[in-house]
Amino acid sequence: MTASRLRTLLLVVALGVSALVACSGRKPHFSHEYHLTRLACGGPGQPRCLNCTSCHKVDKTNQMLPKVTACRTCHKPAEQTKLAAVHPVPNDDLKFAESLHFSHDQHLAMPALSGQCVPCHAGVVPPSDNPQASVFPPMKRCFKCHEHQQQWDQAKCSACHERKAMSQVMPQSFLRHNQGWMRHHGTMARQKRQVCSQCHSQQQCNDCHDVTQNLKIEDRQPEAIKRHFVHRGNWLSVHPIEAKSQPRRCLSCHTEKSCDGCHVRHGVSANAVRGANPHPRGWVGGDPGNPDFHGKAARRDILTCAGCHDQGPATNCIRCHKVGGSGGNPHPHGWKSARSDNASMCRYCHGG
Amino acid sequence: MSSSAGGRENRRSSLVGSLRHGTGVSGVFCGVALAIVLAPAAARAEPPTQPDADTYSVHARSATYLQLYQRALLPGPGGAIVATTTPAPATEYVSLRADDIDAPWKKDSLDFELSAWGDALMGEAGQTDRRIDGDLQTANVRYRAGPGWVRLGRQVYAGGAARFSRFDGLSGGGKLSMGLGGELYGGLSVLPRWDARPGYYQLGSASDTLLRDPRALPEPSRSGYWLAGGRIFYDKGPVIAGLSMHEQHDGGELARRNLGADLRLTPFDKASLGGTALLDLDSAGLADGRVWIDSTPLEHVTLGGEFLHTEPALFLSRQSVLSVFSTDKFDELGSTASWQLDKLVGLEGGGYIELYSDGSKGARGKIAIKLTPDRDGNTLLRLGYTRVRAVDNGYHSVRNSLRQRIARTLAATAEAYLYVYDQAIRGYNVSSVYAGTLEWDPRSDLGLLWGASFADSPYARADVQTLLRLVYNFNREAP
Repeated sequence: MTASRLRTLLLVVALGVSALVACSGRKPHFSHEYHLTRLACGGPGQPRCLNCTSCHKVDKTNQMLPKVTACRTCHKPAEQTKLAAVHPVPNDDLKFAESLHFSHDQHLAMPALSGQCVPCHAGVVPPSDNPQASVFPPMKRCFKCHEHQQQWDQAKCSACHERKAMSQVMPQSFLRHNQGWMRHHGTMARQKRQVCSQCHSQQQCNDCHDVTQNLKIEDRQPEAIKRHFVHRGNWLSVHPIEAKSQPRRCLSCHTEKSCDGCHVRHGVSANAVRGANPHPRGWVGGDPGNPDFHGKAARRDILTCAGCHDQGPATNCIRCHKVGGSGGNPHPHGWKSARSDNASMCRYCHGG
Repeated sequence: MSSSAGGRENRRSSLVGSLRHGTGVSGVFCGVALAIVLAPAAARAEPPTQPDADTYSVHARSATYLQLYQRALLPGPGGAIVATTTPAPATEYVSLRADDIDAPWKKDSLDFELSAWGDALMGEAGQTDRRIDGDLQTANVRYRAGPGWVRLGRQVYAGGAARFSRFDGLSGGGKLSMGLGGELYGGLSVLPRWDARPGYYQLGSASDTLLRDPRALPEPSRSGYWLAGGRIFYDKGPVIAGLSMHEQHDGGELARRNLGADLRLTPFDKASLGGTALLDLDSAGLADGRVWIDSTPLEHVTLGGEFLHTEPALFLSRQSVLSVFSTDKFDELGSTASWQLDKLVGLEGGGYIELYSDGSKGARGKIAIKLTPDRDGNTLLRLGYTRVRAVDNGYHSVRNSLRQRIARTLAATAEAYLYVYDQAIRGYNVSSVYAGTLEWDPRSDLGLLWGASFADSPYARADVQTLLRLVYNFNREAP
């Protein structure tokens, strides 16, 4: 069996196992709608009708989940095994609820609610126009009564949210971290700096952007399969393709000197001892008409050139392109600079 | 809230106490400076608060990593590996964040942040490796008073003309009730390990200068590396608009002088649009311009579109000789979409085309399906396909990921990547990576992870790595 077939087989097996595991183990789900609206109740020989407080005991905490024993009021012991498997709410919602500073007791006593749960928990009986409505109210429901304008202006979220849990909560409307977020997050970080700081520390910026660390973020969080880290998988092989596909993206974090710094360190640079020249024949020389001549490539992708050749006064481009050199004037049409002729960088070529 | 505040006060750690009552030299210095700068604004804008209401939070984190891997150091002719090393580095990351700490003169007004890393390289080391290494990443204190704030220390400034800047210095800003505001920052650029050369591993050009040892290069003078900038903005209702300026000097001479503009409009709940522009003032050219629109036409559907125009050479330091060699541009146009069909199935995808000044084109696209068949969120399966086509090569990539919670304190992940290249890289048309982790969280504040990966790539016939991670989190907050 060839190596490529073995790879394909391994991939297919991995995929199959993944799908098998993912599609197994579904657990029964508790239906609020059935228990509150479709259960025959109140008649002779029928159980008493249920309301919210039949199972949920109101207290000062932010969640009032009943224990399985509450179900036994109506359900027979023989059903106990099945009941134990019932998970009333998804765990993510539970974690979120636990992270809020909230008192049910206080809210139910408010005249606007009159002790009613459904105005906030509309999802227990999902409306026909939104069958996916969550049992837990969205944040915009809070803002129907609470303005929190002062906290909003100061980006002070900790009045309601526990700070330690906020980094686990993804915004659902305002500053939604959706598909395009990675491309916009820098701008948002500037425009909503105070808001960002409620969930994120500056250290989290450095996790990805501080490229002087020895351990990159992909290695530090190998379990974070949902996150869109840039250097995942076989980045080593694809990074030249990515760099040429999106010129300047690398410079979001790296300096132009970073490329050769790493290449030299790993011995894969022409600047390294016994390193090989990566350029094709005809790259330099007296034939600008050669299809492999470096001029056109340099104009289109100067950042890749800078990756290795940006060496200050030792930049080898200067040999030919300095004033009076054989390479001619390197400044393209439309190029201009406000720097004085005495700037040291200019003097590398113009200084005589 | 107030009735229990005393009890909470007694439960505070000594660490919080020391932060609150003895803020140290930097806290006192910061306090004096801030009192001068912000006292008038604070007096005008400070909202009335309950006298004994109190909040604070302290989060500390320690993460220890032990790695073991083998690497090729010096490829010979044709890429043949002629030397390998087997290092085993141990790395420690520590961070501390404390928010809403009382200053002696004002409650809940100070935030502290400190983070650092260090590593020790055991096993075999390469010629340029340091056996002991480390750096300070952030160390700052922020003082808030009403709508104003000041931050002192090692910090990050991002977005607008600043792009991503790290510096040791001072930043501050504020916003008036009418939506107008401003921010200023300035300080010495952060250099690796305090005063090492930017780029750090840069050895110079061996072929030109015959330089082999980085220690032969002169160390930079920190005073020559500085940056400063600011932003004025309007932020009210559906409009955020800002104008920013950034100047940076490297080695005592101009590296960047940029003017930035940013705009974001949210005309209605279901859509927002915006744009940014970055001008290089030295060449009076548009370094980067971007317009985008994000919309949520349906509750579980998001759509985004974007156009980007860039002149890459303007992102080079003005100290780079190569910054004067090109004015070629690059445009990118594309869109993204996601659709959460129900709680179990989500789809996401996107595509971009790239147009270069010389007429060549590129493209990239990806599509992924995310399955969470278990309502408890115990299982997550993600299947993704990516296609990238650049000027001279491209690749197809498949990435399949699975996360499964095995027991209450035990979870595992498995990933498989397959790459198929348009043009062979060093004779390889295909490469693959397999990775997996096993996590054990015996307590909510303690986690142990073991990870391993295997790769078969153009640069390694069999690359095997393993890592052990221990994380400890300390959290305390009130109310």
